[in-house]
Order: sequence, then C-alpha cells, then structure tokens
Amino acid sequence: MNSLSSTQSPMNTMTHRLLRRFWPLLLLPLTIPAWCAQAAAPAAASAPAANAPVADAPAADAGTGTRGLDEQIQDLKKDVVDLNKDLFVLEEELLFPANTQVAVFVSMDVGDFFALDSISLKIDNHDVSNYLYTPREVAALLKGGVQRLYVGNLKSGEHELVALFNGKGPHERDYRRAANLRFEKGIGAKYLELKITDHQRAQQPEFEIKDWE
Amino acid sequence: MRLKHRANRTSGLCLWVYCGLHLGAAAAASPGILAQRAPDFALPAAVGDNVRLSEFLGQPVVLTFWSSRCSTCAALLAALDRYYATYRSSGLVVLAVSVEDDPQRAMQYARTHPTSYPLLLDQAKAVGRAYEIERLPTTVLIDRSGVVRYVHSDDRPGDASYVTQIRALLDDKVGTP
Repeated sequence: MNSLSSTQSPMNTMTHRLLRRFWPLLLLPLTIPAWCAQAAAPAAASAPAANAPVADAPAADAGTGTRGLDEQIQDLKKDVVDLNKDLFVLEEELLFPANTQVAVFVSMDVGDFFALDSISLKIDNHDVSNYLYTPREVAALLKGGVQRLYVGNLKSGEHELVALFNGKGPHERDYRRAANLRFEKGIGAKYLELKITDHQRAQQPEFEIKDWE
Repeated sequence: MRLKHRANRTSGLCLWVYCGLHLGAAAAASPGILAQRAPDFALPAAVGDNVRLSEFLGQPVVLTFWSSRCSTCAALLAALDRYYATYRSSGLVVLAVSVEDDPQRAMQYARTHPTSYPLLLDQAKAVGRAYEIERLPTTVLIDRSGVVRYVHSDDRPGDASYVTQIRALLDDKVGTP
C-alpha cells in the first residue's frame, strides 16, 4: 500500500500544480455556449421582422402552395411508376433474353363445358409450372383475359410441351385432359398459347396449343 | 472478502442464466416471418373453391395451421369459427391450412367438423415450410398490407389476445400498397 502511494505521489503533485496554474481553462467549455447564445440572440430578434410578411400572407397563397406540393407528389409518383416499369423490363430482358425466351399463355373462351381448376405444364418431360385457379382468376379468363402462365429459357432445337388440364367437365364430372405440342425453338422468342374452348356440337371442351409464329 | 467474491460470482452467473433464458424465449416467440411479407400461396379447399392468399390483400387474415391428429387444433378451429362469425362483416378473413399427410383424413375431418371459413389442404407441406411451422396449432395474423403482425404457437385457443390482435388488425387503416 505504501509503495503504491509512493509511486503515485509525484503524478498527483504534478496534476495539482497544473490545475493550480491552468484552472481558468477548465471554465472555457462552460463559457462557449453562453457566447453562442449571445451571438444568436440578435439574429433571433431580427428573424420575426424578416418573416412577418410571410405570416401575413393571404390564405390563397397557402392554397397555391399546397397545390404545388400535390403536383410535385404526383410527379414523384409518376417517376416511381416509370422507374418500376423500366426496372421490370430490364429484369425481364436480363433473366429471359429474347434468343432463349419461351412463354406460355392461357386463354379461355365461353367455358360452359369446363370449369378450370388447375393446369400443369411439362417441357421436355420436366415439370415447369403447376398453377391452381381461383374463381376470380377463372372469371378474369372468361372475360377475355390472357394469363402468362410460364416464362423461361430454352435452347434452340426441338422441344415438347405437355399441358395437363384439371377441372369440372360437363355434368359436374371431374375432368382431366392433356394436350401436347412439339415445337421448334429458333433464335427469337417463342410464344405458345393454351386455348380452352367449347365444342358446341360435341358438347365438350376443347384444348388446343397454338404456336405464335 | 472471499465470501464477497463468491457472492459476486454467483450473482454474475445468475445474470447470465437470466439473460440466456430471456434471449431463448425471445427467439422462440419471434419466428423469422414476423414483420415480413406473408408468403403467397394457392391451395385447394376441402370443400369449395381454391383459395389464393394474395386475393385478400387489403383485408386482415387469420391463417392457422392444423391437423386432425392434434386435439388443441379442434378447439382452436372452433374458437376461430366464433371470431369469424363476429368479425366477418368487418372484413376479417380466416383460413385454416391442414398439414396432414393424408388429404382424405383432412377431408373427412372437414366433413364432420364443418366451419364457416375454408379448410385448405397443403398435402405437399410447401405452405407450412414457407411459414416455418414447427408446431401445431400455429396461427399467423396478417395485416391489411400483407405483413405478418402476430404469431401464436401456444396451446391456448381461448386466449383473449386473439380478440385484441384481431381488433387491432381491423382497426388498422393501412390500405393496399
């Protein structure tokens, strides 16, 4: 204990000496904010005078200001939508380049003899899509909507597409039909359409795969 | 002196155990999907049409995972039926996903225990995996913007917090993004 005090004592004395000499410096941090406040006071006093005309501005000015802000927000929203569109297109081009792209669409006409439940897609014997339809989606197809069921990449050459349709057929019976198409994939993008139509004479649904050349 | 040192060591150990327990409890109560966008799915219903979750965007959704083998699930499904009857008119959607291996069993259960909300069949268990379900029953509450707000994986179907949380989701004015 004694040895400890003896080793610390010179340090303590030196600190004491320094404190005795330079104690006014310790007050410096306390005085700086006070100086700043004093310097800011005249500026603050002059500020209301400068802002006074703005406060007295008529309500019409405020209205035009809000309208301007609304326009700016609308412009900003439009920019975001445009940017999103550009990004989507860019993503599509990068993920599915035109020379390898293959896309499969679904369309439905009338639908009196078939209530669509699901479609399974196979390309070259590989499952690529299995889509379950809700009544809202079926209604959208019956209104003339065309759904992009699958988009992917394929190399050039001959390929086979098999589509398996599940649903309810005539007289509410479970209906399961398949349609297939052999197609040649060239350099450009390939678009195929699965068409579900009603065959009035046979009173049966018809499933067709159309190749958009 | 030695006694004081030992007391310090014991209190330190207690603090570590306490922190560990609390951290463990927090990890169990906050699964990865909490505050995340709810994974979308489309599933066939045991009775009725197929259901796609994204079609309910803008409405609060209570999504529960169940099995006919789990006795607590039956009580929870009955409780959810009551909540649905009360809050249906306010826009609440309740979906119950069966994670049964045998869909026939789930369909039989659905026939014998009819509910006013759809009982869905997830035979492939893909939806269960997407929602990181570890135990049954688990209930996920999704807000109007499609974000998972609450997760219940306890065995208390009559828990009053369900009603509080459902009401909070219904009161939430967040619209579709």
